[in-house]
Amino acid sequence: MKPFDYTAPGTIADALRAGAAPNTRFIVGGTNLVDLMKLEVETPAHVVDLNPLAEADRTLATISEMPGGGLRIGALAPMSDVAWDPRVKERYPMLSQSLLLAASGQLRNMASMGGNILQRTRCPYFRDTAMPCNKREPGTGCSALRGFNRSHAILGTSEHCIATNPSDLAVALAALDATVRVRTGGTTAGGAERTIAMTDFHVLPGTHPERETVLRAGEIITAIEVPALPFARRSLYLKVRDRASYAFALASAAVALDVANGRIRASRVALGGVGTKPWRSLAAERALVGRAPTAATFRSAANAALQGAVAHKDNAFKVELAKRTLVRALTEVVA
Amino acid sequence: MNTPSTPCGIGRACDDVSDPPRAPDVGAYAPHFELTDRAGHQISLSELRGSPVLLAFHGAHWDPAWSESVRAYNRLIADLPGAAGARLLSIAGEGTWQSPLFEDGALDLPVVCLDGGPVAEQYGVAGVAAVFVVDSDGRISWRHVPGDASPTPNAVAPVGASTVSSDDAADANEPSATSREWTRRRFVATTLAAAVALAFARRAARAEEIARSIGGSAATSSSELASAVRLRVNGRDLTLELEPRVTLLDALREYAGITGPKKGCDHGQCGACTVHVNGRRILSCLTFAVMQQGKEITTIEGLAATAGASGDALHPMQQAFIDHDGFQCGYCTSGQIMSASAVVREPWGPADDDVREAMSGNICRCGAYPGIVAAIQQVRKGTSTDSNRGRR
Repeated sequence: MKPFDYTAPGTIADALRAGAAPNTRFIVGGTNLVDLMKLEVETPAHVVDLNPLAEADRTLATISEMPGGGLRIGALAPMSDVAWDPRVKERYPMLSQSLLLAASGQLRNMASMGGNILQRTRCPYFRDTAMPCNKREPGTGCSALRGFNRSHAILGTSEHCIATNPSDLAVALAALDATVRVRTGGTTAGGAERTIAMTDFHVLPGTHPERETVLRAGEIITAIEVPALPFARRSLYLKVRDRASYAFALASAAVALDVANGRIRASRVALGGVGTKPWRSLAAERALVGRAPTAATFRSAANAALQGAVAHKDNAFKVELAKRTLVRALTEVVA
Repeated sequence: MNTPSTPCGIGRACDDVSDPPRAPDVGAYAPHFELTDRAGHQISLSELRGSPVLLAFHGAHWDPAWSESVRAYNRLIADLPGAAGARLLSIAGEGTWQSPLFEDGALDLPVVCLDGGPVAEQYGVAGVAAVFVVDSDGRISWRHVPGDASPTPNAVAPVGASTVSSDDAADANEPSATSREWTRRRFVATTLAAAVALAFARRAARAEEIARSIGGSAATSSSELASAVRLRVNGRDLTLELEPRVTLLDALREYAGITGPKKGCDHGQCGACTVHVNGRRILSCLTFAVMQQGKEITTIEGLAATAGASGDALHPMQQAFIDHDGFQCGYCTSGQIMSASAVVREPWGPADDDVREAMSGNICRCGAYPGIVAAIQQVRKGTSTDSNRGRR
């Protein structure tokens, strides 16, 4: 691993100042960053530890109520705290499930909510510095396009990158219309604040796969806000993977349905494991609303969700797998 | 062998104070000293006359990882027939060195371990690692100081091997009192000295290089500097000189000599490195040690104590793994047990499948999973381990 400077500022103003230096990475859990630093995919000159910020401001690592019944989740909160929280389990089962189906018990005790939505792709070519990769080294080419691409994305790809976004949590957050609160450096002490819709937070690779989010260098995620959504009390995160546990998704679906009098009044659908970003499918939601919750309705929604999917040599199976995953999730959530 | 010389202070004035003393040669009298050991006992070299004394200087730069070398040294002593009785009189430094490492039995072979204090200056080895064997007459009979040829078994063996006798009865046939000194005890002393020089002093030399590189840091990027990192591990405070890039796992294993946490994949995929931080299970390979200051770190070595066990008593989860054969090769076992002992505090459901899901971050290539699940269920259900043992 390359040497680096380590600092652990005690205030967010100091953290923003430290984060303004070029080639700086913030660290909280370290489960993704330390791994990538060992591989020398990440080679920061400065690492700024955000954990001490929670000592000054507990809300950065805890869950608090928002007006109207939503929850504000501190960005430094470990995944496990959020996964087991009774309010999260009751109001947003899909959110708790997306966390518990991700990683392992040890990793969930370490990894933070803010870090989770920033985690990098598991594309093996991105993780191998010997291989060309447009995301890691812009302009060098994409090794996955003609390489082994079984785990890669079928939605939102470009000719420059087909890497899958690996986060389960971000899929559930996209379905729930969550927003990301961000502190940005500025002239005022403590900086300014802005909020970003979860569905706008990640960007498609296009011609610049090195850009993954709209977050600017030096900005700090302070919280993730999940608005009230009463029908999300009946929601589900279904994850399909190569082994029963502790694996990234081949396909996943976050779904919530509001069914009354035999009709779907409202729905939320997002897919994971198949997109270059967490894949909210408004097309699938439109295909559901106003219809009866039947197998035929669910299948048509699945077809709508996968419209425009582009398969490569080894991942064509994902098109049908994602459809079946979505159909099963919808079937189970109304059961 | 060099001409014996009288040590400074014994029949000779110490008038050359301006020159730092040179390390005494083989054959020279060992400079006299007095010191206080950790237990507050006064020790003087003259009191130790009558048996060989081993003096080990570890240099100014301290590294608790040397405790590994001492453990190897202890095993060596245990393995040498008739050599029992070596005793560590003084332990410098900190951490694991504060525990007596030798049984307090016969006093055949005092071993004095010193840091870079006044005695080291007296011996001309301030700040460096060195080993001396003082014979029963108070003369240096063997030494290794920086600049001497590398100590190797071949370099040492002729001293002992040519004169050693297999037992004390044979010593009586030796022609003179001087040569009778080259007996089993002296052989053991020399062998142990070589062991220290080979293992312990080698580590010390490496640490000196690091110390020198820190001293000459003007041209070095500050990011390459190690700094003092204070960790609380198994209820004890450790101060380690670490670069920020040292993971908690490497700090524990390579710097603190705490090797219970295992390095399997080193990428967070196998769980062998699992430890507790503030009571929660984490992967020590994916966090930097510098980030874990001020927290309670528990490794398998300290797990039993967290359950109130004392001495050699086991944590209930350790006992359950034994009861149910929850391991084969054992490499993943410390991680499995650390993970399992935290899982019982997490809000998982009661089923075996819940245990499998909770434990999915711990991989066992031997496939001991059925025993592991049974062990965890035994602890979760509070099944008596006594009745389990009774059935075996």
